[in-house]
Amino acid sequence: MSYAYLFKYIIIGDTGVGKSCLLLQFTDKRFRSDHDLTIGVEFGARMITIDNKPIKLQIWDTAGQESFRSITRSYYRGAAGALLVYDITRRETFNHLASWLEDARQHANANMTVMLIGNKCDLSHRRAVSYEEGEQFAKEHGLVFMEASAKTAQNVEEAFIKTAGTIYKKIQDGIFDLSNESNGIKPGYTVHNSSGGGAGSSSQAGGCCS
Amino acid sequence: MRGGDAAAAAEEGPPRSPDLCDFSDDSDYAAAAAASDHTAMRTDSVDRGLDETARIDVIYEKERVTIHPTQYGSGRISGKLRLFLQQGSLFLSWEPNEGADSLSTSSISVEIEKYRNLYTIKALPLSDVRFIRRHTPTFGLDYIIIVLSSGLAFPPFYFYNGGIRELFATLKQHVFIIRSDDDPNVFLVNDFQDPLQKSLSSLELPGVASMANAMSRQNSLSFTGSVDETRHGAEDRHGGASSMSQYGSKQKHKSNDPGRDLSIQVLEKFSLVTKFARDTTSSLFRDNSGAHAYGRQQHEYLLDNKASDKHKNQYITPEKASIPSAPLESDPLPLVWGKQRDHPLTVEEWTAFLDPEGRVMDSKALRKKVFYGGVDHVLRKEVWKFLLGYHEYDSTDAEREYLAAIKRAEYEAIKSQWKSISATQAKRFTKFRERKGLIDKDVVRTDRSVSYYEGDDNRNVVVLRDILLTYSFYNFDLGYCQLVELLDPPLHNYFRQNDCLNYFFCFRWVLIQFKREFSFDQIMLLWEVLWTHYLSEHFHLYLCVAILKRYRQRIIGEQMDFDTLLKFINELSGQINLDRAIQDAEALCTIAGENGASCIPPGTPPSMPIETDGGLYVQEDEVL
Repeated sequence: MSYAYLFKYIIIGDTGVGKSCLLLQFTDKRFRSDHDLTIGVEFGARMITIDNKPIKLQIWDTAGQESFRSITRSYYRGAAGALLVYDITRRETFNHLASWLEDARQHANANMTVMLIGNKCDLSHRRAVSYEEGEQFAKEHGLVFMEASAKTAQNVEEAFIKTAGTIYKKIQDGIFDLSNESNGIKPGYTVHNSSGGGAGSSSQAGGCCS
Repeated sequence: MRGGDAAAAAEEGPPRSPDLCDFSDDSDYAAAAAASDHTAMRTDSVDRGLDETARIDVIYEKERVTIHPTQYGSGRISGKLRLFLQQGSLFLSWEPNEGADSLSTSSISVEIEKYRNLYTIKALPLSDVRFIRRHTPTFGLDYIIIVLSSGLAFPPFYFYNGGIRELFATLKQHVFIIRSDDDPNVFLVNDFQDPLQKSLSSLELPGVASMANAMSRQNSLSFTGSVDETRHGAEDRHGGASSMSQYGSKQKHKSNDPGRDLSIQVLEKFSLVTKFARDTTSSLFRDNSGAHAYGRQQHEYLLDNKASDKHKNQYITPEKASIPSAPLESDPLPLVWGKQRDHPLTVEEWTAFLDPEGRVMDSKALRKKVFYGGVDHVLRKEVWKFLLGYHEYDSTDAEREYLAAIKRAEYEAIKSQWKSISATQAKRFTKFRERKGLIDKDVVRTDRSVSYYEGDDNRNVVVLRDILLTYSFYNFDLGYCQLVELLDPPLHNYFRQNDCLNYFFCFRWVLIQFKREFSFDQIMLLWEVLWTHYLSEHFHLYLCVAILKRYRQRIIGEQMDFDTLLKFINELSGQINLDRAIQDAEALCTIAGENGASCIPPGTPPSMPIETDGGLYVQEDEVL
C-alpha cells in the first residue's frame, strides 16, 4: 500500500507495563492479558491518515526487562516517535521514567517525539501514580502526556495518532531533513504532487503539496 | 571428515583468528590447495596425467560453460566442459579458460584468477554422479547442477552457448539416466535401486559395459546401500568421512587418497564461496551504481532458486513433499548437505540401548540417534533426563531411583527456603523480591496458548513458577539473559559494513534457543538435537549461521540495513524449515570441524546441558 510517509515508532518502558498490549490493541483491536514476554523486539504496522495523507506507522515494540537494555538501546536509532509507557498501578515503573528518557536522549534522534503514557487506567482503584504526577513529569521533560488502557482501548488510538500528528507538524515546520532517514521518516511513493520520491530534496518535501 | 582432513590441512596455516568463517582465509586456502595438488592442477596437468594412462576419447565438448561463484559479472569463470571415455569409463571434466575473460580489473577478478583453478574438475567418473539437475529459467541462462553420490554438489554450470540438450543426449548413450518422478528436471544417473530397472538398463544401454566396469571398481555406497536410503538421496547417512574413504580405497587409478582430496576439495570450494561472498559484499558497497542491477539479478535468481529448493525438499524427504517450503527461504547451501533426517527414537530402539541393569551401553550412539531423529514423545520424559545430564548414562535403574529420591528431597529443601521467607523478610531482601517479581511476571506469560499451561489458575503454571524460583534460588548467579559473544557467518563483512555485527537480530534465536521460531512440537525435537551435543555443544550457533546462509542472497541482494534485517529475521518465525536447517547446520559443523570449535570464543554459553568441571550442573551453592 502506498503512503505519503512512513514513521518509525518505538515503544519503551519497564517490563510488564503493557507495551505489547498497547501495540496489539492499536494494530489488531485485541487485548490479551497474558501476552508473551517480548524478547528483543516485535514489530507492528498500521496505516493512519493525517491531513488526508496516508501515513504508515512501523512500530517497534521493545523488551522492557532490564537485562535487555543493552539491546533495546540499539532500536532507538532512526525512530521518529516514542511511546514511553509506565503502569499507573506500579510506582516503580513511574520512577524509572527518567532512566528511559536518558537512554532515549543518548541513543535517539534529537527530534524524536516522545509521548508519555500512563497505562492500565482501567485499574484506577489500584492506582499508585496520580494523573497529575504523570502530567507534571511530562511537562518538565517536554513530553506529550496521556493516560490510556490497552484493555479497554481507551486513548490507545489517540496516543498513536497524536504522536503522528506531532511528527507531521514537525515535518510541516521544516524541522526534519527528509533526505536523512535517521529521522525515522521515509517519504513514500504515493501521489504526492511535486516532491514524491523525496530522497534528494530537503525539508520542502512534505510541506508543500495539499 | 570432521576434525580430520579438513583440520589437518588447515593446521598447516598460521594461527586462526576467532572467526567462524575463517576456514575461508587465504592462508588456509593455500594450505588446503597445497595438500590437494591434483585437484588444483591446471589444464596442462590434465594432459600430462593423460600421457601416463590410456588415450582418451572426447565425446562431448562445450566452450563457455561458466561458473558464477559470485553474482558479480566480473566474477564469472568461463571454461570448457567435456565428456570423455578412458579405459571404457566415462568421465566429465571442466577446465577454466586461461587468463581472465572479463575486462574488469577490479581486485575481485584478480582473486578469482588466483583461485579459479580450484573449481577445475579434472576427471569425474560418471559413476560418482547421483543426479544432474537441469535448470531452464525463463529469464537467464540455462544451467545444470551436478550432485554426487556422496551428497556433494558442484556449483552450477551456466551454458552460454547452449548445449545442455546435447550433453544429456551424449550422456544417455553411455550411462543409465532416468528422469526423477519427483521433478522432471532431475536426471538420476546410475539409479539402480530397482532391480527391474537395473536389468532393463542392461538391455537398453549401450554404455552398460562401462557402467559395470565402473561399478565393480567403485563397489560402493549408492549402489549397494539400502534401497530406502538411496531412494531418499541419503547415501552418506553413514558419515561423509567413511563413505569417502571407502570411495578412496577403491579408486585405484589415483595416486593419493582421493577421499582426502575430495573432502579438502569440498572445504576449498565451500571456502571459496564464502570468500567470494565476502568480497562481493565489500565491493558491492564500493560500487553503489551497480547495486541496483545486482538486486534485480538477485531477484531473478531467487525466483529460480525457490523452485530448486522445493525440489530439493521433495527429493530428500518425499514423505514431506506436501509441506510447502517456506516462501521466504531462498539461498541454498550449494556444496554439502547434512544427512537425511531420521525417525524419532522408538521404544524398541530405546530398550535396545539399555543393558539388563538399565545402563545406556553406547551413549554416543544414542546421542547420534537423537541428533538425527529426536525422541518419540512418550520417551521424552525418560530420555531427556539423560540428555540433560540429570542421569548418568552408565547409571543403573536402581542408582537412578535412589538419586531421584535424593534430588526430590533436595528440591523440597530449597523450595522450603524461599517459601519460608515472610513478607516482612522479603521487604528487606531486595534481590529475592526482585527475582520473585520477575519470575511471577514471566511465568504467566509463558506459553499460555499451549494447552498444558492454558487457563487461569492452571496448576501447571504454579508448578512451573515453583520450579523456576527454586532453580533460580539454587543457582542464583545464573543470569536470565545470556548474550552470545561472537558469531561469524560468511555474512560477516556485510554485517560489518551495515553495523549489524552485534548480531542482535539473532538474539532471540540464541537466548531462548529458537523457542519462538518453531512450533511447540518442533521445538521439542530441536532441543533434543541440541542437547545431544553430538557434533558440537554450540550446535545452536551453527544453526544460526545455517539459517542466515539460507537467506544470504536476500539479505545482501535487498541491501537490508539493521532495521530491515531485524524485522526480516523476526518475521522468519514459523517460516524456517527445521529439518533442512538442522541438515545445513550439520554440514557447516562438519565442514568447519575443529576450526569451528576453536573460533567460538571461550566462555560462549553452550546449549543445555551446561557442563562444568565438576560434571553437569555442579555449581557452588550460593544461596544467600
